[in-house]
Amino acid sequence: MTWLTWRQYRTSAAISAAALAAFAVLIVITGLHIAAVFHAAVGPCLAAHDCRWPADNLALDNGPVGLVVEFTLAVPAVLGMFLGAPLVAREIETGAGQFAWTQSVTRRRWLAVKVGWLLLAALAWGGVVGALVTWWSGPKNAAYLNAFDPGTFDVQGIMPAAYTLFAMALGIAAGTVIRRVLPALGVTLFGYFGIRLIFMGWIRQHYMSPVTTTVSIAANYLPSGAFWQLGQGFRGPNGLISLPNGNNIHTVGNGFPLSDVPAACLTHGPAGGTRPSPDVLSCLGSHGFVQYFTYQPADRYWPFQFIEAGIFVAMAAALIAVTFAVISRRDA
Amino acid sequence: MNPSGENTAVETSGLTKRYRRATALSDCSVTVPLGRISALVGPNGAGKSTLLRLLTGLAWPTGGSALVLGGTPRQDPAFLADIGYLAQDVPLYRQLSAEDHVQAGARLNERWDGASARTRLRELGVPLDRAVGTLSGGQRAQVGLSLALAKRPRLLLLDEPVAALDPLARRHFFATLTTAMAESEEGLTVVLSSHLIADLERVCDHLILLAASRVQLCGDIDDLLAEHVVLVGPRKDTAPIERAHTVVHATTTPRQTTLVIRRGGPVIDPAYQAEDIGLEDLVLAYMGAAAPPAYAHLSTVGEEQ
Repeated sequence: MTWLTWRQYRTSAAISAAALAAFAVLIVITGLHIAAVFHAAVGPCLAAHDCRWPADNLALDNGPVGLVVEFTLAVPAVLGMFLGAPLVAREIETGAGQFAWTQSVTRRRWLAVKVGWLLLAALAWGGVVGALVTWWSGPKNAAYLNAFDPGTFDVQGIMPAAYTLFAMALGIAAGTVIRRVLPALGVTLFGYFGIRLIFMGWIRQHYMSPVTTTVSIAANYLPSGAFWQLGQGFRGPNGLISLPNGNNIHTVGNGFPLSDVPAACLTHGPAGGTRPSPDVLSCLGSHGFVQYFTYQPADRYWPFQFIEAGIFVAMAAALIAVTFAVISRRDA
Repeated sequence: MNPSGENTAVETSGLTKRYRRATALSDCSVTVPLGRISALVGPNGAGKSTLLRLLTGLAWPTGGSALVLGGTPRQDPAFLADIGYLAQDVPLYRQLSAEDHVQAGARLNERWDGASARTRLRELGVPLDRAVGTLSGGQRAQVGLSLALAKRPRLLLLDEPVAALDPLARRHFFATLTTAMAESEEGLTVVLSSHLIADLERVCDHLILLAASRVQLCGDIDDLLAEHVVLVGPRKDTAPIERAHTVVHATTTPRQTTLVIRRGGPVIDPAYQAEDIGLEDLVLAYMGAAAPPAYAHLSTVGEEQ
C-alpha cells in the first residue's frame, strides 16, 4: 500500500520538495541579509540594553520576498487542493479505484495508509515552511513588535503545520464526499481561506479574556512587548468617550475629542472662542478622565498559537473521521 | 438451484439497488453455478454492472441479499482475495505501467501470481513498461484480465470487458480467459457481461438475462435452448398455444405469426412449424418482452390495431 502511495505521489513529492528547497534557499539568503541589517542598526543599543521598540524607522522589508513570505499562507491550500482533494475523488473519477479496491485490501486500510502519508507530508511541509518563516521574521518581529498581527501570526510558529494538516484533511474529506476533483478543489480552497479568515478576524481574539489596563490620561503608555491591541480609548466620569463622526473633529492630546472637554478645562480666548487650557490633560485627569488599553499581552503568543493549532488539528481529525465513515459506507 | 450452496458460486435473493431517483436493480434472484462461465446479458441500463458491483462489495445493496462464495460481500481481506473484478472500460492507473500494476498487486494481495501475468502479457506482445494509458484498448483489456487473474480468484467478474475491442482482440481475450480457466487448479467461476452474444455463445455455458432491472432468464444455456422453440405459423388465435406453453414473444405480420415459446410440453398444433432457437434470438425475445411499450410496438410491425 505504501509502495502504491509512493508510486502515485512520487512526482508530486519531487515537485513539492523542489519548490520547498527553492523556498528555503531564498529564505536563508534574504534572512541572513535581514539579520545583518538588523544587527548593524541595533547592535549597539542591544548591547547597552536600551533599544526602543518598535523601531519603525528600521527598514527590514525587502519587498518581493516579504510578499512571498505572506503568500506561504496559501501553502496549506495548495497542498490540500492538489494532494488531498484528488486522493479519493480522482480514484472515483478515473475509475482506477475499482482496481485498488478490489485487491485484498479493505478500503479502510487503503485510506488509512494514504491518509497517514499525506498527513505526515502536510506536517513536514507546514513545519518546515513555518520554521523557515519564523526564523526569517525574527529580526522583524523584534523590531516591529508585530508577532500577533494578522498575516504574521498565521505564517509563523506552529500555525503553518496546523493549517496544512487542516487543509489536507479538508481536501481529502471534500474529495471523498463530493467524489469529483474539481468541486473538491473549490471547496478546499474556499473552505480553507474562509474558515481561516473567520478565525483571524473574529475568533482568535477571544481565546483568552483580554486584559484592560487603565492609565492616566496624560501618560504616554503602551503595554510591553509585542502585545495585540484590541481597543484603546478614554473613559470619563460618565462612561466611555467615543469620537463623534465627521471630518473636522478637533482633538486634544492622544485623540481626546475636544467636544467632550469639560468647560473647566477650557480657557476663553481673547477673540471670544474657547480652546483647551495649556494643562488640559492634567485638568482632564483631575476631572476623572482616564485612558484605557484593551489587549492580549505579549506573553500570550504561544498559548494562542497552541490554542488555535489545537482547534485546527481537532477540525482535521473530525474531517478524517468523516472521510473514514463515508468511504466504508458509501458505494465506491 | 442448490440452496445448500455447494455447487453455487453466487446466490442472490431479492437483491435490489435503488438510487435516489432510479432503481438500478430490482428484486434480483440469480444463481451462478460453480466452475462455469456464466454470461450476463441484457440491454443497456438493465442492471448488469450494478449486479456485478454488488457482488464485489464495491456497492451496497438497498434490499435483498447476496451470497458470494458462501459469504456476504464485505470489506474483508479474505473475501476480497477470492474475487477478481474487471470493471467496464478497464479502469487502471493511466500513468502507471503494467509492470507497476503487477507490483502494486503483489503488495496488495497475499496471494499473487505476478509471474504468470508478466509471461502472459509478454506472449501477447503487450509492453510491460509503458503507461497503460498509452496502450490500445485490446492491450489494456489484456492487462486488466491478467491482473484480475493474477489474484488467483475463485470468482472472476468481468463487466463488458470486450465491448471496445475489435474481433481479433476479442478472440485473444477469450482465449486468455478459457486458457486460464483450464489451467486453474482451485476451480474458477466466471461471470461475464456483454452485448456480444455470438462471443458469449462460444465461451459461456450459463446464461443470466437481466432486463428492466429484473432477471428474465437464468439457467444452463443448453437447457434454455432446449426449452425454447420458435413457432412459425399462419396468423390465428394464439390462445391454445398460450394455454400449453409460455409465449415469451410474439411477432405478427398480416400473414404469419412468429412465436417464441417456453415449451410446456410437445407442440402438437400442426399449423405451426417448430424451429430450434439460437441464443441471440432467445435473448432478443426476452429483451423485447421486457422492453417498454414503444419498443414492443416497433417489434410487432404490421399488427392490426
